[in-house]
Amino acid sequence: MTFDAIGIAGTSLTVHRKWLDAIADNLANANTAAPTSGPAFRARYIEAQAGPGTSGVYVAGVREGDAAGRLVFEPDNPLADAEGYVRYPDIDLSEQMGSLIMAQRGYQANAQVVDRARTMYESALQIGRSS
Amino acid sequence: MSIAPIGPVGPAIGAVASPAAQGATGTGGDFAQSLTGAVDDLQQLQSTSNQLAVQAVTGNLDDIHSAVIAATRAQVTLEVAAAVRNKGIDAFNEIMRMQA
Repeated sequence: MTFDAIGIAGTSLTVHRKWLDAIADNLANANTAAPTSGPAFRARYIEAQAGPGTSGVYVAGVREGDAAGRLVFEPDNPLADAEGYVRYPDIDLSEQMGSLIMAQRGYQANAQVVDRARTMYESALQIGRSS
Repeated sequence: MSIAPIGPVGPAIGAVASPAAQGATGTGGDFAQSLTGAVDDLQQLQSTSNQLAVQAVTGNLDDIHSAVIAATRAQVTLEVAAAVRNKGIDAFNEIMRMQA
């Protein structure tokens, strides 16, 4: 690896981008109703894993939330069953918003690492160039 | 009051000169080789950066940051290569300015 700090921060940027994608999917489907005969939308959670040595962080896989969701009594909903219940995904909006902020801040922090690393390498090139 | 005698200079010069002599004999073509290798690496980095830039403007890019990181890497590597080249040329010019 030529410039390791930049590469490591790059892997972390990818992980945070995927986390952001997962949160976007969860938020988009937070109000997706499903009939009680089938599963509800399953929330997606990114499983991060440290790479070997100092190679950064990687997405090991995507875990899915509970398929049972929560049953809501909505007799007017066309998807409602005979007793008037539909299935909503078990997604906590406030929790997702908190994760959204964490993903954003993590992405920003790693972008800063790339920037600072570049500045450091450039200042290394200035050594002995005073004349 | 006594003046301390100045020690022989010979061994000191030998100690300084011997590593340089070893380096000259053992690693004759290494500077040229490493410079060529660095230029090859730089070319690869720049072609990767170009590919990612094309993907970015054509909408085939998954990660925005990968294009920017590749461009940053290529830029820093180019600066390092230019600095090494300038140092080499400076040393060469310094030697050429030597006069008896």
